[in-house]
Amino acid sequence: MFNRLLDGIKVLELGNLVSGPFCAKILADLGAEVIKIEIPEHGDDARRNEPFLNDIPGLERSGLFLYLNMNKRGVTLNLETATGKEIFARLLRHTNVLVANVCSRRMEELGITYSAIRKINPGVVMTSITPFGLTGPYRHFGSTELINVSMGALAYASTREVGVDQEPLKMPAKFFSFQAGLSAAAATLGALYKQSISATGEHIDVSEQESIVQNLDPHLVAYRSQQQIVSRTDRLSRAPFHILRCKDGYIYNAFSEEKEWRKFVQVMGQPDWADSELFKDYASRAEYWDALKPLIEDWTMQFSMEEIYRMSQENGAPVGAVYTAKELLTDRQMAARGFFVELEHQVCGKLTYPGVPYVSSEATGAQPTAAPVLGQDNEEIYCRRLGYTRADLSKFAEAGII
Amino acid sequence: MPEEKWPMANPMLKGVRVTALVHVWAGPWAGAVLSDMGAEVIRVESHQRLDPSRGRAPFEAGKPGVNRSIVWNMHNRGMKSCTVNLKQPRGVELFRELVRKSDVVIDNLAPRVLPGLGLDYAALKAIKPDIIMVSLPGFGSAGPDRDYISYASTVASVGGLLDSFGYPGGEPALMGVHPPDPIGGMWGVVCALAALNHRSRTGRGQHLDLAQTEATTALLPEVIMEYSMNGRIRPRMGNRDEIMAPHGCYPCSGEDKWVAIAVRSHEEWDALRRIMEYPPWSDDEKFSDQYRRWQNQDLLNKHIAGWTRNFTHYEVMQKLQDSGIAAGAVLNIEELLNDPHVRERQVFFEQQHADAGKTLAYRPPWASALTKANPPAPCLGEHNGYVYKELLGLSDSAYDQLVDDKIIY
Repeated sequence: MFNRLLDGIKVLELGNLVSGPFCAKILADLGAEVIKIEIPEHGDDARRNEPFLNDIPGLERSGLFLYLNMNKRGVTLNLETATGKEIFARLLRHTNVLVANVCSRRMEELGITYSAIRKINPGVVMTSITPFGLTGPYRHFGSTELINVSMGALAYASTREVGVDQEPLKMPAKFFSFQAGLSAAAATLGALYKQSISATGEHIDVSEQESIVQNLDPHLVAYRSQQQIVSRTDRLSRAPFHILRCKDGYIYNAFSEEKEWRKFVQVMGQPDWADSELFKDYASRAEYWDALKPLIEDWTMQFSMEEIYRMSQENGAPVGAVYTAKELLTDRQMAARGFFVELEHQVCGKLTYPGVPYVSSEATGAQPTAAPVLGQDNEEIYCRRLGYTRADLSKFAEAGII
Repeated sequence: MPEEKWPMANPMLKGVRVTALVHVWAGPWAGAVLSDMGAEVIRVESHQRLDPSRGRAPFEAGKPGVNRSIVWNMHNRGMKSCTVNLKQPRGVELFRELVRKSDVVIDNLAPRVLPGLGLDYAALKAIKPDIIMVSLPGFGSAGPDRDYISYASTVASVGGLLDSFGYPGGEPALMGVHPPDPIGGMWGVVCALAALNHRSRTGRGQHLDLAQTEATTALLPEVIMEYSMNGRIRPRMGNRDEIMAPHGCYPCSGEDKWVAIAVRSHEEWDALRRIMEYPPWSDDEKFSDQYRRWQNQDLLNKHIAGWTRNFTHYEVMQKLQDSGIAAGAVLNIEELLNDPHVRERQVFFEQQHADAGKTLAYRPPWASALTKANPPAPCLGEHNGYVYKELLGLSDSAYDQLVDDKIIY
């Protein structure tokens, strides 16, 4: 449910693709006013990312962009021009926080550094998100999701039980770029809290590589205790902790305790083979997994993932259904919480999006708005708020300022 | 490895007190991050219901003990620990006193536990009207599936992360890591701080209830939008990108060494050709523009691998980055800990722990003058004296009696 917890907070966003825009989206979803600044004509690169509505590409048709930029106002501004810089300074004067995931070289070229913006707004919070942070030998490296998960030591041991010739495997889409944006939002909210108490700001330097480290605990523990380097070829030491086929897809049986396996055996109707010495504990089951897996699948292949998921969970076995988007969008629990939302967009019409994953007792039923078309709020922000005239706007556009 | 120093002079969350009823990973990570930001975070534990992670092997120096689990100490650094037996009414009373002195209560227990103890949000609000409560259950505190058992694996499946993970044309792949846990924890920090900001302006508290499944789905919109826009299930793509090529992990010299390369533009492709000294295969019209390179990426990848095999992964990374191409060595955990950039950024550090000797920790993924890692993980009940006598004002004799009666237990 959307709400207005950050009512009154103003955010300026110089974001591109995922991490910066997601950080700002989290604030926007909480009711902060976010003004997203895009390059005239060109816009955020996410606008050129699949999936496109009906597979027809267009600046206003990207599902990734539409999700990341809902609840924001959008303006265009050319920060290389003197007039553009002047307008930016005026916007900066009244903002609580600037979120940027533009590389530091570019920010320096544009004159948008923390020390420079503090002169305009001494108490401002600046959140910089870059692949490797603002210091260190890799600070100017170019990067993408694939590079981040590789340099973050996640890809090396991803996946398991494969041959050494199988290449390290990245996880889906831009999952970890999103995690970096989430982490940046947490830090930003802390700085905003301090700003609300003491009127002082701060520069937060978020590294996407360091964000990956949050996920490495199993590898760190193995290395710390035995100098063991977990690798893709490792077999799992307990079973089941595996993905199994069922009639219409897959389920994930990840049992940490013996009693959970016993409950699942009950759900399967206590087959005789389950009493075998070979399957007596999780280590033994792991050793004989090649024999055990087909026996379980003989049973699971008779049922849908939904059936197995419900039967198991209702009997105390922590099975997960490997949901695709189809099941997600009709899941009864997510529906009960109103997780998915429908928004009307100028170009794409009504679409369903993931909403926010929390429910607040202070929810005021705030209405979410769809992502802005390129330059949608130029008039609102430049004319109504900053006092330029429409004639000014025409000249700005013709001169490439907006 | 540097040793971390504390306390901070002027942290973000100075003066904020958090009471944490948490276990395993997601809740503790939220507590550790809030503690790094300067909040005082008190974990409420009990001998009669120990966090399973406290007993989880492996242990520091191989010696078992409730204060010696490597993973527990990594997740719970910076927090204080007090013990209380919540099965006893007097124990619940003591907990209520602690709530009265707190700004935030955070929990990642099963949804029925706190209401079962008479400690739901309505009850906490009656104790302290502006209390902020943040709950991090697997599926949500209300709804038909709220009592389902959730581990990171169930969250990853039901949240949609698992289905789109795997090699092209293959089945869903085993993850080996559990990202929903730290993700749930960081969302918990977001919720707590959003509520603190709100309270700063309005004086009001609230209950924020996060579902870990939804918290994972929120990071995978492409999966949802592919279906909601075009009625399709996003396929498993391995290391392939929608349009970048070359894009993938390529073998380098040495045992199991790889480099990740992502060519983002035609200019970068030209630069790569120059670095490879214009091998004849690169003239093939199959690779003459980005679309064709993407279409023929399997063949392209074979050729690139033929070149990368001659160099170490760090060499390829440096050569390509020097020419503005995104490339990164696929580091294993040992390489990461020893990497010069990671060392300079002081991401990892060791802490001196009363029972476990030296413990390993890493800071949250940002550098800021207002965030710095706090003390090492607490021993079980280490701060009972501080919490009960200093904070709650119990006399020595009252305290001793409660210990004898196994209320402070």
